[in-house]
Amino acid sequence: MVLKIFFPQCCNRAESGLLVGRWISGHDSAVVLAVIHYPFIPAQVKQYIQQMQAQSRVDLTVLGSWSLPKDGQEGMESFLRDLSTIFPQERWLQIRRQFGKTGFSCEVLSRDQICGKNPGEKAEKKKKKSEEDGGDAEREDEEKVIFVHYEQRKVMLSQLHPVEAQESGNGSEPNSELRQVFGTVARSQPLFVLDRYDDGPLRSTHWQSEGREASIVVELLKRASVPLGLLLGRMLSVWTWICSARILSVFPLRFLFSKLSTCVQLSYRTERLQTLGAPQAAPQAAAHMDFMRKANVLVSVLLDVSLGVLLMSWLYRDQNIAMLASNMVPAADRVAQKLEELLQWLMGAPAGLKMNRALDQVLGRFFLYHIHLWISYIHLMAPFIQGILWYGGLSACLGLTFALSLLSDMVALFTFHIYCFYVYGARLYCLKIYGLSSLWRLFRGKKWNVLRQRVDSCSYDLDQLFIGTLLFTILLFLLPTTALYYLVFTLLRLVVVLFQGVLHLSVDFINSFPLFAMALRICRPYRLAEGVKFRVLCEEPGTALHLLMEINPLKCSSVVQTYRTPTYSCYPRDSWVALVKKLFIGELIYPWRHKTTKSD
Amino acid sequence: MGPDGAPSQSVPWRKVLWEWQPFPDNYVDQRFLEELRRNEGIRQYRYWAVVKEAGFVGQQLSCVAIFITLWLYMEQGLLAPETLFWTSLTCALLGYGLYQALTSQTESCSDHRTHLADSQSAALFLSFTFGFSPVLKTLTESVSTDTVYAMSALMLLAHLVSFPYAHPSPPGSLSLNAALFASVCLASRLPGALHTFAMLTCALLVFALWPCLLQRIRANAPGQFTGVCVGVCVGGVGGLGSQSLGGAVLLSLALVSVTLICPLLLVRLQRHKDNIHGPWDEAEIREDLSRFLH
Repeated sequence: MVLKIFFPQCCNRAESGLLVGRWISGHDSAVVLAVIHYPFIPAQVKQYIQQMQAQSRVDLTVLGSWSLPKDGQEGMESFLRDLSTIFPQERWLQIRRQFGKTGFSCEVLSRDQICGKNPGEKAEKKKKKSEEDGGDAEREDEEKVIFVHYEQRKVMLSQLHPVEAQESGNGSEPNSELRQVFGTVARSQPLFVLDRYDDGPLRSTHWQSEGREASIVVELLKRASVPLGLLLGRMLSVWTWICSARILSVFPLRFLFSKLSTCVQLSYRTERLQTLGAPQAAPQAAAHMDFMRKANVLVSVLLDVSLGVLLMSWLYRDQNIAMLASNMVPAADRVAQKLEELLQWLMGAPAGLKMNRALDQVLGRFFLYHIHLWISYIHLMAPFIQGILWYGGLSACLGLTFALSLLSDMVALFTFHIYCFYVYGARLYCLKIYGLSSLWRLFRGKKWNVLRQRVDSCSYDLDQLFIGTLLFTILLFLLPTTALYYLVFTLLRLVVVLFQGVLHLSVDFINSFPLFAMALRICRPYRLAEGVKFRVLCEEPGTALHLLMEINPLKCSSVVQTYRTPTYSCYPRDSWVALVKKLFIGELIYPWRHKTTKSD
Repeated sequence: MGPDGAPSQSVPWRKVLWEWQPFPDNYVDQRFLEELRRNEGIRQYRYWAVVKEAGFVGQQLSCVAIFITLWLYMEQGLLAPETLFWTSLTCALLGYGLYQALTSQTESCSDHRTHLADSQSAALFLSFTFGFSPVLKTLTESVSTDTVYAMSALMLLAHLVSFPYAHPSPPGSLSLNAALFASVCLASRLPGALHTFAMLTCALLVFALWPCLLQRIRANAPGQFTGVCVGVCVGGVGGLGSQSLGGAVLLSLALVSVTLICPLLLVRLQRHKDNIHGPWDEAEIREDLSRFLH
């Protein structure tokens, strides 16, 4: 086994002293966390370590000694060796740095050696099983230690991914060595509080020993956020109380709410904000996920609202609303006119197709009448459109997503005639397809067995056969006409659905994109670690191998994957094949919820 | 004897592979083909009996020809739809009477449909056809005439191919449907709605009811069956001949080949029949060779 010693870079130039750290259980490695300098009183050191142990719940120990000889500090060898008897350990590390050499040298003493050694004798470099002859064992000992240098601050702050779901405190330690190292460093934060300005009896070196940083702005913000959060929480609870009123859950209203994307967005936002106020989860990993989730929600809400306010400032400037409203009615008129032209074209001989004239005329007139109805409706609504837009624009102060959802709803309302055409066409087509498929079975003398879910042969009566064939012929010859109307209106419908889908997708993007995690990844890449990589620092023949541990930042795609806020579009959607199949048999398609076509 | 030569031993050879024997693997002895049987359960056909049975096929062919002849007459305006309708109705009533008469001679009334059910069916046919005839009239307006003819020809061919000649009494679904489809296509080309109605009634008579009656005749009055078949064939050839001579020649050639030449060929070729049976499983060669690759 090779003994690995994780050594913080900040302690490279520390004065001589005691190494405080932890042996990693189950692995032959140790983490050095800090160096406590001379002079100290052993009892105080022991007390300090116990105190830290209680605070951080890491089983801290004195690992060994550290010596960086300075001028006039010669002959400390025997003193350092004696220390091992004061702090009795299984193994005692003795790390020494010498002038003119970059590498450290390390000796590992086991307990029996410590106890059995002769005080006056010159110290031998020995390890546990060093009873064999000297020369070989010595070289082996040198090779058996690897120093892994790590940057303490980054390791303390970083979170190793993938985050393990249930890591319950000290109860069950994670198996991976790296995970244990990271966890140990992260949990021993209390150890790093002691800095050079403290008046305590001990002096130590770690990443923060030069003094702690703090910002006045951050402190002020922390103070201010408490009453603000309380106020917002109260408002939120009032809002949820209104939402949960029984009158809103009556059938038609609930159905309507589930179909209007504004209401869906409202309920989603409420739910997200409620999670902000939820108590923090206890275990460390869960707490990290919880914190990230809340931060993501908060940042995306803030961004959303600021974008919404920008939109609002544009809308209410220079009579933009009036302009929009005055453009809307002519636009609807133009759409209706185009539709009428399309219907006229369909009622002739579209693209040279030969359709059944009588059915063609009937369908065409029916749809023309429908457009006429729709235009009258729009003109009836015309005076109110500006008001609707004005008040609708106010919703942008809740966020851009609300404005987009409202736009989507308005598009749905303004293209209601297209939807109606589509439904009529689809129903008619669906009826024909079903009729034809069952009559085709009759044509071949088969029938669908419902109980066994298969096609059986069947002997029909004469009259059944006769009427069935008659209907089959009629349906078959009328199918092209219906199919053409269905095709045209489905294409129109798909255009609308696609537009709505793009809106929904952007709303969804704003809702679910982990903005905070992404910013963290870009500005502080070490905070989200995926693993580590090692670089050889120095490899001198006489000393141990020195490696530098660098943190591999998490890939951007996995950041998004891990911290994505779940929304309603995360559910499995219909594949393209299923969509085409649905279109072929004339089933209705919808843009909302997790049904279809949001997968642009 | 096996190719490798058998050792002359007293141990008798057994036709098993699962136990060791002092013979080569490909050894067989004289008893190997003892159980081979040839042409088991063969029926010896007699020429005139086969011709009589083939008469049914011939008359069905002639029925199609008769239907086409009637349609040609209707299309050219030589036959008034009323005439056709009343004639068909009379024929149907006569046929129904004959059908009943033939029933009462032999069969018991176990699976016998009541007169009420029959009249209900008839009313259903008539009302549906009459109601739908305007729709059917405009149905293929925009489809080109060639397409309609091609479709009808295909469907009539399908009718002839899929007709259950052995048991035609409840007419087979596919054959009847194909024939009706063809007649709807043809009828929609006629000048008026009444024409369509009359044509469809006629089609129902020819394709649905006539095979039932003929089957009854074949079962209960075999003597008259031949005469009826010959009569229908002659009628078909004659009718088609009045419209197109070439068609009549072709039809008569087809009839001759179906009723006379094909049975002759069947009887002749039967001598060459050689089916072998035995107590073995036939070797079945699967084309799936991929499992030998690895």
